[in-house]
Formats: sequence, C-alpha cells, structure tokens
Amino acid sequence: MRRIGMLCLTAAVSLALAAPGAFAQGAVTVKILDGQSTTDTGIENYISAAVAAKYPNIKLDWEVVGWGTDFSAKVQEYMKSGLPDILVGKGQDIATFASRGILGDISGKPYLKNVIDAAVGSGSYKGKAYGVVYNALYQGVYYNRKLFADNHIAVPKTQAELKAVIDKFKALGVTPFETHFVDTWSIGNITMQFMINDVFSKTPDWADQFRSGKISYASSPIAKTVYGYDKLIYDNTWKDETFSLQQTNADGRLVQGKAAMKVSGSWSIQNFQDIDPAFDFGIFPFPNQAGDSKLIFEPNITFMKSATTKNSDAIDKVLTVITTDKELGAQIFNQTKTASTIKGMGPTFSNPSQKDIDAYVAKNQIVDANSGNLQLVWGGFQDENAKDIAAWLQGSETLDQALAAADSRRANSKP
Amino acid sequence: MHRSSLQLRSRLEFASLELPGLLIFTVGVILPIGLDFAYSLTSWDGYQKGWPWVGLANYAKIFRDSQTLAAWWFTIRFTVLNTVVQNVLALALALVFNGEIKGKTAYRTIMFLPCLIAPLVAGYIWLRMYSDVLPALNALLGTRINFMLFGSGRTVLAGLLIVNQWQWAGYWMLIYLAGLQSIPIELYEAARVDGASRVRQFFSVTVPMLAPAFTICIVGITIGSLRVYDLMVSSTGGGPGRSSTSIVYHIFNTAIAGRQYGYGSAISMSLIAVLLLIAVAQLGLLRRREVQL
Repeated sequence: MRRIGMLCLTAAVSLALAAPGAFAQGAVTVKILDGQSTTDTGIENYISAAVAAKYPNIKLDWEVVGWGTDFSAKVQEYMKSGLPDILVGKGQDIATFASRGILGDISGKPYLKNVIDAAVGSGSYKGKAYGVVYNALYQGVYYNRKLFADNHIAVPKTQAELKAVIDKFKALGVTPFETHFVDTWSIGNITMQFMINDVFSKTPDWADQFRSGKISYASSPIAKTVYGYDKLIYDNTWKDETFSLQQTNADGRLVQGKAAMKVSGSWSIQNFQDIDPAFDFGIFPFPNQAGDSKLIFEPNITFMKSATTKNSDAIDKVLTVITTDKELGAQIFNQTKTASTIKGMGPTFSNPSQKDIDAYVAKNQIVDANSGNLQLVWGGFQDENAKDIAAWLQGSETLDQALAAADSRRANSKP
Repeated sequence: MHRSSLQLRSRLEFASLELPGLLIFTVGVILPIGLDFAYSLTSWDGYQKGWPWVGLANYAKIFRDSQTLAAWWFTIRFTVLNTVVQNVLALALALVFNGEIKGKTAYRTIMFLPCLIAPLVAGYIWLRMYSDVLPALNALLGTRINFMLFGSGRTVLAGLLIVNQWQWAGYWMLIYLAGLQSIPIELYEAARVDGASRVRQFFSVTVPMLAPAFTICIVGITIGSLRVYDLMVSSTGGGPGRSSTSIVYHIFNTAIAGRQYGYGSAISMSLIAVLLLIAVAQLGLLRRREVQL
C-alpha cells in the first residue's frame, strides 16, 4: 500500500512539474543583443511589454551592452558560441555585419512597409534589406535661440559668417562653442559631420580612393580643411576644461547661456530638456567654405535579424509589433528625443529644433550620415583618428602627424 | 609487491586531489593563453571564419608601432611611480595607525573603504571631483589651483596616481599593519636597551621584519599597476588623445574596437611575458632579501 502511495505521489509531483511545459506549447524565447546609447536606456522594457501584450507566448531575453564600448566585442564573441536571434545596433552596423554574413536577409518582409523609404534604404546593403531602422538623429550645430535673437545674430551659412558670429559672441563674453572633448567620440563625430558635408557628399567614392592609395589625409587639402574646423571649435571653447568636462555639465552651460553653439546630434536634446524643459534651441548645418552644407540625417536604432536564427517567425512578429505599435513608438521617441521612421508617426515630443529640421527637409538640405559612416568605419578608424586630433589640439602631435596617423590606418578603415 | 601497490594507491590519491585544480587551471589559464598565442600568429579580425597565418609579423609590429610603444611607456611610468608612492604611503599609514592614537579603528576603516568600490566607479567619482567638486573650492577659498588634472596630457598621470592612492593605499596599509603587529616587542626593547634611536629601530628592526610584507605589497602593486584598465575607462577614456592609454586599454582598443584580434593578441602576449618576468625577478630578489634579513 505504502509503495503504491509513493508511486502515486511521485506521479502527481512529476505531472505538476511538467504541466507548465505542457500548457506552454509554442512558447518561444527570442534572444536579443542590444547595443544601447545612454539615451536608449530602458527601451527594452517598453518593447518587452508591447510584445507580451500581443504575443504572450513570445518571451524576449535581452542582453544590453554599451554600443560604443561592448557591442562589437559581444558580436565577435557570439559568432563563436551562437548569435542571438536579434541584434539591435546602429544604422552603420548594417554594412559591417551584412558584409560578413552575420545578418539574415529580410527583403520583402511586410513590416518593411511600415517604415519610411529612407529607413529601408539605410537598412540595406548591396540591394538587400538586413535591418529595420527605427529612428533617426539629426546632426548639426545646436544653438541657443534666445542668445542669437537677443543679440540680433543671424544663423551663419558660410565660414566667413561663422567667424563673424564667433567674434560677436566673444565680444559679449559668451563662449562660442560648447564642447566636452573628454568624450573623444565627440571629436570623431564632429569631424565626420564635416567630412560628410565637405567630402562624401561631393566625392562618394573618396574612401575607396583613400584605401587604394590614390588619396591620403596627409596630402588632401579637404582633409586639412576638415581638421581645421576642429581647431576652430577648440580655439573658441573652454580649452582648459574641455578635456575634463562631462557632457551634462557642458550642455548645462549652453542651456544657461554661457555658451552659444554645440556641434552635436539629437542625443543632446535629452540633456537639454532634462536641464530645462523650456530651453529654446535650434539647429543649423555647420557652415562650410562653399556655403552649401546640409543637415545630417543619421539612421539610429536598427533591428537586425541574425543569419543563424531558428526563430524567424517569432522575429517577424516582434518586428511587426515594433513597427506598428504607435504607443510603443511614442514611449521610445519621447525618451530618446529622436525622429520616428514609422510611417504616419510625426514628432512625439516638443522639439524646438523641429521647425528648423522641417525647413531644411523642405529645401532638400539633408544628407544621410551613412554616406560617410558606411565608407569609413567608426571602431578602429574614426575613433582612433579622433584621439590623434585630440593629441594635436593639445599640442602633443603636429597636424602632419595626426594626418599621417589616419593614413597609417587605411587597412582598418573599411566597414 | 604490497609496498608498490600502496605507493601506487598513494600516488593515485594525490592525483585525484590535484586533478580538479589542475583541470580548472588548464581550462582557465593554460588554454586561454594557448589560444591567445595561436591568434597572435594570425591576422584574424575577430569576424573572419579562418585565421590567416602571419607568423611572427605581429610581434615585429609591436616594436614599430608608436601607439603600442606609447601605451607601454605610459604603463611603465604609471607602474614605477604607483609602486613607489603606494608602498611608501601604505607603510606610512600603517606606522601611524599602529601607534596609540584615538579613533585609530575608525581611521583604518575610512582608509580601507575606498578599495571596496569598483575601480570603474572610482574613476567616475574622481572625474567629477576634478571637474566640479575641487574647482568649487577655488571659489570658496579665493584660490586659482588647477584641479582639472584629467584635462591635460601633462597632468593626467598625476591625476590617475592620486585616484589610485585614494583607492588602494588603505588595502596595502592592512598588509603592512599585520606585518607590524607581528613584530615581537622584545626586539624593540632590546634595541632600545642597546641605545638605538627610533629611526635606527625602524631601519634595523621594523624594515627587516617587514620583509615578507614588502614582498607581497611590492609584487602585488606592480602587477596591479601593469594591468590598470577600468580606472581609465570611466575617467579619462585613455585621453586626452592617448596620453593615459595603458597597455591593457590599448589591447582592448586594438583587438575589439579596432578589429585586429591577431595583433591585439600579440600585444597581450607581450604583457604576459613582462608580467611573468617582473613577478619572477621581484619574487627572487625580495625573497633573497627576506632570507638575508
């Protein structure tokens, strides 16, 4: 009797343990590696909640890392041990990963029709779609609109006008440019902004010519001009502090009117509005010699499917939710202060610079950041060049040395 | 026959006790170093399917690459200065807190606490200290001291050394404190009876008896300094420019961000070689001094 009782008890316990599994048939876990910027922190929770509401049997298993520091390393690690189902990176990762067979082709998928055509193009490589670009940043010169208006200073369009504006602000005791060069990436970003407008928009195959040895930074007048713009900003910022000052402190000075302009991107808006929600700021393209510079549009958060995933159906469902759920979109765009690429979704937060962006879009004065980012890779090239520029600005390298250092990295420049 | 089977059994027992540790050591240390050496003979970029063979070319490149040499030079300067300053400071603190002063337990605790903070957090704290907190003192005191030590290539080394002393001096102080408290009091009494001054007692009694503590602290601080990395990540980012890029930071940038896994592996092998050389040399020298003293 006792033995029968024990057997029944064992059977009952086994059934109880197996029951959740039995009733959870069709449950899928989708692994996601998410390379985030600081402005994206926490968006995985919004996405998980949105997906769980629509598809309770799909569980999202997130691994969140810093995009600039650890994302590339993690992808390399998982190439050996097994890639996650979805990689969330930046628009420029498409070329790097697709060219190495890491990404799955999503051409023709229905959810691609939910995003604007520019986003589909930005998520493609050699004619095939590999990623869904979810939002976009705008890059240019953010400026304190009140400072400009109160002092009757017009937005400069040429280098000559910019120098006049700089002189006016210096005379007023206002630092012309806000910078935080302790973040060397900001030097790299500023330099690439200049190169996109002055180099890649005019010579689309400049980087290929560079890699083949036809062009070099050391002998290129335009490269010297671009580096010269870096020096112009450095000479008109708080030189003694910029290599120690954190972004939040620096942005605070722009908001408080202690500085007039900042060459940056939409990622700064979150800081501006955290410091002062009523801060009135605008954006204009950094003026070049020819006076024809454009505002830079940069594809940002990009969802990419791994080439080795076994959960294609679940991924399609997840990406459909992401590209159709407007409430989810509002949460993410409001937090990140970025522009939506979802069709039918306009600005979701009060962005004082939106009217400037709309004006430049209407005049077609917009250029895609990928025109540069897909030619010269960030990691190992742009970021290393930025360090040499920093060393040059501080006087520990000459301009020729900084330019020659860029040339020495030719082999590492291809995305 | 019975004796040899007992010996065999004894050997097998020892082997079974050693095996788990040996397995962990092989998998955790030998295998990764072996793989690292294998990668260093290739030009693998971390993504490619194959490992293109280049032989010793990566090792030759180390001696031609100004950035690698600069990272080594920074690391050597940091290590030498940090080892000297931290040992002197830790010993000085141990001597002070070994004496009869009020609240010494509290002081010891306060000195020790920073080492419980992750170096990453310590770097972030001091970035704020140098850029916000300390400059505010200038306004209060009416001074014009430049506290922005991370802001210039000329002062960044000093800035990092200060942070490192703040974080780790208390830890090594405990080692010296333990050593001081293990010195028999009779030795000092005998020295006093012989007419030795306090300074003479320090050099003739304290220093020789602290020889094992010196070995631990000097080797430990040297090895730790050669491997410094996370402090730079959250404070200077290896900058301004590359003026505070340590060799480990350079390895990470080269192998991971720079997608030069093969070359990065070669640089890391050079670091392993230097660490082994220094550890063996220091241990040999210091142990000999312990015996002599």
